[in-house]
Amino acid sequence: MEFSDWDLVQKCQAGETSAFQELVSRYQQKIFMVVLGLLRDREDSMEVAQEAFFRAYRKIKGFKGGSSFYTWLYRIAVNMAIDAQRRQKRNPLEFRENMDGVLEEQNEVEKDPFSNAHDKELRAGLIAAINDLTAEHKAVIILRTVEGLPYRDIGEILGCSEGTVMSRLHYARKKLRGKLKAFL
Amino acid sequence: MTMMKRCEDIRDRIGAWMDGELSRSGAEEVRVHLESCPACCEERRQLEKLQASLRAVLVAGPSNVSFERFWSGVEQRINRKRVWHEDFFGWARDLSTPPQLAWLVPAVIILVLMGVFSLESFFPGSRLAVRRNNFAAVESIDGFGRNVAVLRENETKTTIIWLYQNQEGEDESTGEKTDASPSF
Amino acid sequence: MSLLGKRLTRVLLSSSILCFFAVFAGAAENTSQIVQVKIGAILASNQGDEFDARLAPLEKQLRVMKYRSYRLLKEESQKVQRKGNATFEIPGGRSLVVTPQDSGTKQLALRVHLQQGGKPLIDTTVRLNSGGNFLLGGPPHEGGALVISISATAQ
Repeated sequence: MEFSDWDLVQKCQAGETSAFQELVSRYQQKIFMVVLGLLRDREDSMEVAQEAFFRAYRKIKGFKGGSSFYTWLYRIAVNMAIDAQRRQKRNPLEFRENMDGVLEEQNEVEKDPFSNAHDKELRAGLIAAINDLTAEHKAVIILRTVEGLPYRDIGEILGCSEGTVMSRLHYARKKLRGKLKAFL
Repeated sequence: MTMMKRCEDIRDRIGAWMDGELSRSGAEEVRVHLESCPACCEERRQLEKLQASLRAVLVAGPSNVSFERFWSGVEQRINRKRVWHEDFFGWARDLSTPPQLAWLVPAVIILVLMGVFSLESFFPGSRLAVRRNNFAAVESIDGFGRNVAVLRENETKTTIIWLYQNQEGEDESTGEKTDASPSF
Repeated sequence: MSLLGKRLTRVLLSSSILCFFAVFAGAAENTSQIVQVKIGAILASNQGDEFDARLAPLEKQLRVMKYRSYRLLKEESQKVQRKGNATFEIPGGRSLVVTPQDSGTKQLALRVHLQQGGKPLIDTTVRLNSGGNFLLGGPPHEGGALVISISATAQ
């Protein structure tokens, strides 16, 4: 029998750590991918993702079900990822490419969309352009692009309205397009 | 609405339309316009290309990312003994997230101000207490035939009532002579 | 943060706010009848450049008068009921009578009467904040002038 997120949360609040383990198992990949999108370093992203789950564990007794569990969890993870970015000694918005072979693996599975020189330049330009976005604009791009989350959920995660999500996405995309006009 | 303004309005919404976030009527409006406007169509094409590039950069294939040890990383954190100040800083960090800050900062300011202004009640005459306006208001004055001056000095908030001597330069009753006069 | 921690935070915060309001409310509603009147008789002159260290809290106020020298002759404090008289002996055969009037706690009205050898020199009513002060000066004394600092605090 598969328990809903809320059932597992309630079991967790009652002290069942195994229920929390089930929740981790459900969302570990998604959380990791979002954090990876913001930090672009696998080791750091793994650390932050695990720390995010740990923080969720400590706060779970205070979770009242006002939002869905996963938006609540994403919120913790995104805030921690943004904090981690700021703590880095280098430029906090730097979009690092330290994927440790993740992309190379991907090339074995599917054709690398950046296989030709022109597209490689586009990719480099894109990375630089994403670096220039503020943390809030980067977050909406990640949550929409990586997770395909609806605006309402993104708003819940980031603590803003749907309208704000729409305008941030519009602004971020406009800015990225402006910087990559030659390639698009 | 002029054609240019119309295109501007549509372009502002193409992203949301592609994300499926517009209302039915709004989505229909955009779709119909795109069928007949090459400029906006080009805008859409660029956005689609941008989206594809973003997905390629941000969504790394997770095939070689192992989550086998993910839960053990979380579990280690749960079981680790934490020192008191980690809990305190965690609590303080939770309080400093933007939604909480919105009420916490003004609340702290109000409490501090109330404390400062109430210091006088706890420690009358204390230097720490906020100096209230020290100006004294003279409601009535009778010099019994002598000249009297009232001076209020702004910087030090001082009120001085000065009783001048008689013109002969000596005090009638004591016979004291003085040539010391203040220079205000 | 655990549920208990959140509750505790709310309780502490609410208690702190209520405590501060209580202080304010207490201060506002307290219409004590006792007033502490404090006077300082000061000799201000141009003889010498002495500034009495005991007058440090009043220095800025005294310097307004631009005398070169200030010396504290006498300091005295009395508690008196409203409408009651606090009488102070002032150097030079003078006496000062301070009578707090009926007024609030934050502001006090003082009737001040200075006389010398039975003859009135000045009679004035001054309204000031509780804890505040004003200066009454002018009577000649020892080659200089007498300045009396008068302060009052509602108890």
